[in-house]
Amino acid sequence: MRKVLAVIRREFIERVRQRWFWVMVVLGPLFFAAIFLLPTLLIGKGGVKHIAVVDGTTTAFGAQVTERLDGEPLFVAVRVQAGPGVVDSLITAVDVKAIDGFLVLSDAAVDSGKAMYRASNVSSFVTIGTLERVIGEMVNATRLEREGVNPRLVAKARIRLDLDSKKISGGKATGESAAQSFSLAYFMGIILYMAILLYGINVMSSVLEEKTTKIVEVLVSSLRPFQLLLGKVIGVGAVSMFQFLIWGVSTRLIISQRRHILGEGGMGDAGQVFQLPHVSAGTAIVFFAYFLGGFLLYSAMFAAVGAMSSNEQEARQAQQPVSMLLIVSFISMFAMLNDPGSVLSVTLSMIPFSSPIAMPVRWAAGNLPLHEVALSLGILFVSIVGVTWIAARIYRVGILMTGKRPNLKELVRWVRAA
Amino acid sequence: MSQPIVAADRITKRFAGHTAVDSLSLTVPPGVIYGLLGPNGAGKSTTIRMILNIYAPDSGTVRLFGEAGTGRDHSGRIGYLPEERGLYPKMRVLDVLLFLAELKGVDRRAARPKALEWLERLGLSDWRMRKVNELSKGMQQKVQFISTILHEPDLLVMDEAFSGLDPVNSQVLKDTVLELRARGKTILFSTHIMEQAEKICDHVCIIARGKKLVDGTLADIKRTRGGRHLLINFDGARGEADRIFADQRQVAKADASGQFAELELAPQGDAQEILKALVTSGARLSRFELAEPSLNKIFIDLVGPDAATPAARPDTEVARA
Repeated sequence: MRKVLAVIRREFIERVRQRWFWVMVVLGPLFFAAIFLLPTLLIGKGGVKHIAVVDGTTTAFGAQVTERLDGEPLFVAVRVQAGPGVVDSLITAVDVKAIDGFLVLSDAAVDSGKAMYRASNVSSFVTIGTLERVIGEMVNATRLEREGVNPRLVAKARIRLDLDSKKISGGKATGESAAQSFSLAYFMGIILYMAILLYGINVMSSVLEEKTTKIVEVLVSSLRPFQLLLGKVIGVGAVSMFQFLIWGVSTRLIISQRRHILGEGGMGDAGQVFQLPHVSAGTAIVFFAYFLGGFLLYSAMFAAVGAMSSNEQEARQAQQPVSMLLIVSFISMFAMLNDPGSVLSVTLSMIPFSSPIAMPVRWAAGNLPLHEVALSLGILFVSIVGVTWIAARIYRVGILMTGKRPNLKELVRWVRAA
Repeated sequence: MSQPIVAADRITKRFAGHTAVDSLSLTVPPGVIYGLLGPNGAGKSTTIRMILNIYAPDSGTVRLFGEAGTGRDHSGRIGYLPEERGLYPKMRVLDVLLFLAELKGVDRRAARPKALEWLERLGLSDWRMRKVNELSKGMQQKVQFISTILHEPDLLVMDEAFSGLDPVNSQVLKDTVLELRARGKTILFSTHIMEQAEKICDHVCIIARGKKLVDGTLADIKRTRGGRHLLINFDGARGEADRIFADQRQVAKADASGQFAELELAPQGDAQEILKALVTSGARLSRFELAEPSLNKIFIDLVGPDAATPAARPDTEVARA
């Protein structure tokens, strides 16, 4: 055991000493903050659009719409009286980027609901959405008024919906909003995927380094290959835990300071789209149980890949099937977020190769029966034992092999060899 | 002390296509320098790996220090320098040494002063906190050598011991090996360079194609395999050397190249007759010596000329320099 401890110690110390570890420590939270804030940043700060409203209406409608749009944080709107050549000159203005776009209104807007928007960029759904909403509301109001409805009543009827949604767990509303559940699941999915991949590949390069530098022969003359593998996986795992610890502490700090941070960017609203989640003890346990399970499962496979390759290039190629398993799980996360109770979601949360990402995502997104979690963890555990057994055998033979990468048939023979 | 340090009994190892080592037995007595000799691909490394339990033999047994347990169980008493050298390139020199000592069961704190002492002795003190990949190849070899003997092993195993070493390190290694023997340690090393083996080995075992051809003390082998040998150096003119060497009444075997010739005398051969014939034919000699055969000659006779001319390896060139 002392020898295994020596391996663990070496893996841990050498990794924590490396510059990239601290770069990750610092950049990690920034990166995750970016994942949270970037969408809202892009929405909020996609830039204020300067637009012109070409008013061809015979009523006050054009002026009213211009006023309303100008009141929206997204737009600075200026009314232009319709006339010959106006549209052409505005097209030129868009071309030279003097303005971002222009809206053409005529009486047809109120009569038949038709309007025209021309801009250098029409792919922003926020811009288009806001335009549609504002114009739609104004058309409604104008039509109602035209039919003799009291304008004050119209203003009253025009109320923005604020849907208050809360997750129900254990028969109680949790105080956790849908937005929070969603962002928690999203966050856990991303971090699990990245951490398992990152640290799995770490194990692989560690195996490969010992193999390519030939030091492995000295090592296995002193301790059993399995002891070496064990020490390596635990050592790298300890580094990941250390990293999470640092991140956990800094995340708590961010959460406690979030009003301040969000306020600073002038994005009070951003917090509503992507709220920093509340992490319960149960969620934390599920997260770490599956991270550990996923890491053990994948690092065993990555170790085997490292052992059967004789250089970086070969390893990069050979690890693709393993990474693929993980990537597929990650991509399906988005389908699962949409419907955590679907057959696909349940299946993926039982298959051991995808459950380390699927189950925590489902857990965070919706209320789960505990027996499902237990079953999934059980399957995962049994798979870890099986996969590690196979991987350790490949590892044992592979680390002393030179020459070309083994094909499947040879791999089977390695596993079978006593 | 009569217990052999290494006793391999009919060990066999097969790989996919071939038998690398075939029912090989060898006995290494304590306190000797034991040379495992053979051409490339003879099975030397595989034999060593089986002795150390890096590979388990398919059949046969290995007993170490006269005790039960595999090479890995005894690893604390064994120092191993594999043919392919390597260290962790990004680790600090001292840390590598401490880690490898730890794997041999030495406490870090106990290993530290010893490591520093060795680094001092081999002139690497200033480099102890540098990363391995900042060191020259020669310095890395020294570090690796220190790691092999830092835990004061009773048995030192070196695969292709001198290959890849520069002349200075080659000398350091030789001196240390001789010093270790003087302290009663046992050294087992493999090589395909006979001149080196001849200089320092007490015992040798010659193998080819996985099988043992001969083993015993160097002196015994020379005596029994010997016959009478003539070593001749020409000083320019060779006279009619080729015709004289071809005379089967006098010469059983000749190995002549350029200015040097090694002859095995025929049973009725007379060295004086050969000397006379050479001088009469106009040859000029700088050396004419009746001698034991060189290990190289015995080796070539045993394994055949094909097996004895190993494929050129870049590292052997350095070792010979």
